[in-house]
Amino acid sequence: MADTITVRIPTALRPQVENQESIAIAGASVKQVLGVLTTRYPELGKRLYKKENELNRFINVYINDEDIRFLENLETPVKGGDELSIVPAIAGG
Amino acid sequence: MTPVTPDLARYHRQMLLPGFGEAGQLKLLGSSVFVVGCGALGTVIANTLARAGVGQLIIVDRDFIEITNLQRQILFDEKDVADAIPKAEAAKRKINAINSQVEVIAVVDDVNHANVEKLIALGRGGKVDLIIDGVDNFETRYLVNDAAVKLGIPYVYGGAVGTVGASYAILPHTPKADSAWEKTGYATPCLRCIFEQAPPPGLNPTCDTAGVIGPGVSIIANYQANEALKILTGNYDRVARTMLNIDLWENTVRQFKVAKAYDVGECECCKKRNFEFLDGKFGSSTTTLCGRNAVQLSLKQQAGKMDFDEIAARLRPHGAVSVNKFMLRADIKDNGEPYELTLFTDGRAIVKGTKEPNTARGIYAKYVGA
Repeated sequence: MADTITVRIPTALRPQVENQESIAIAGASVKQVLGVLTTRYPELGKRLYKKENELNRFINVYINDEDIRFLENLETPVKGGDELSIVPAIAGG
Repeated sequence: MTPVTPDLARYHRQMLLPGFGEAGQLKLLGSSVFVVGCGALGTVIANTLARAGVGQLIIVDRDFIEITNLQRQILFDEKDVADAIPKAEAAKRKINAINSQVEVIAVVDDVNHANVEKLIALGRGGKVDLIIDGVDNFETRYLVNDAAVKLGIPYVYGGAVGTVGASYAILPHTPKADSAWEKTGYATPCLRCIFEQAPPPGLNPTCDTAGVIGPGVSIIANYQANEALKILTGNYDRVARTMLNIDLWENTVRQFKVAKAYDVGECECCKKRNFEFLDGKFGSSTTTLCGRNAVQLSLKQQAGKMDFDEIAARLRPHGAVSVNKFMLRADIKDNGEPYELTLFTDGRAIVKGTKEPNTARGIYAKYVGA
């Protein structure tokens, strides 16, 4: 699976993806990967996106620990073996 | 202010650490820290900072101790539950026994936009040196973040729920860029640079729905305390410039790179210096409490102290009522549903038995009066 991206799903969003912790998806950009993911799991898409092509501002997406907002946002290119993390703000305490 | 003849022997093991020494210890003893919230994170933080010899701790918490807290809230015990002691007060008593060199100011109150700057001003010299987060909701975190950025005070965020946790230290940008950390090039983005908005209620699991594992909060809280010790001893170069995320059930530890957020972003708070939470533009007067099927009501205007005896007399026909000098607690059945109503002397109320602010407001209005 060298050309797939590992998408890490946070606990809060696992009910929308059949409780998977991570999902392997092929794609060339963040947008493509999230597109495949949210087509497969539309309920996840409703949580992730504010509107088309705009992520909710309480969720961050990191590629290999780098925030995509400071790369090329949804257009950030990805390659096989990369890890995409969806990270919501953690509120408890 | 450092004590005249500080007894440093008890701190010997940490004074051996690089960048610490006697000078670092004296800085700690001369420091004031605002511990916001004294639950799972806050008790661990207060315990660690007190043992390390932080000279003054201002511990603010609005709540009382319950039996389900004892699984992870390390400063409390069964007697505190039986005696219905407020968390801040119980923490003060324990810390006094742990380290008599530490001055503890315990405040039993909600932290809100009307009082946060006054609480910060309780610090020695009129301002605390650091704010550390033991809070259970994002609204208060943004409020504290606003205050920290406005006043140029370092703020260490932490959060934990279920088996996950996060922490991040903020060395805020100031208007003149003249703070000790900015002069050496170590300012970091603020919490709103990283999370521009709070998650809406219901998106994230709470301690109610997801539970919370004791070691998770301890790890996060001690990571926060560790960053605080670096900051208070002036070791800004050692402060992590990343946001820690852990998942103890998956054995993952991540350090997300967030340092660019200030330069690239257009943060309302630390870049535009628009303090929306501190100004009261954002934030509500009801808060659904994490880990509890309960809603807190904060009444903005309180004419005078409530007469608990009179209210107790009115409520007794509806169920059991108990009163002490801190609170009134009543079991109420409304439309066949059981609620527990707790009133505090400052006018706050917690309605247990619902997560709906409107239901809580209704119970309050019916039995206490709007």
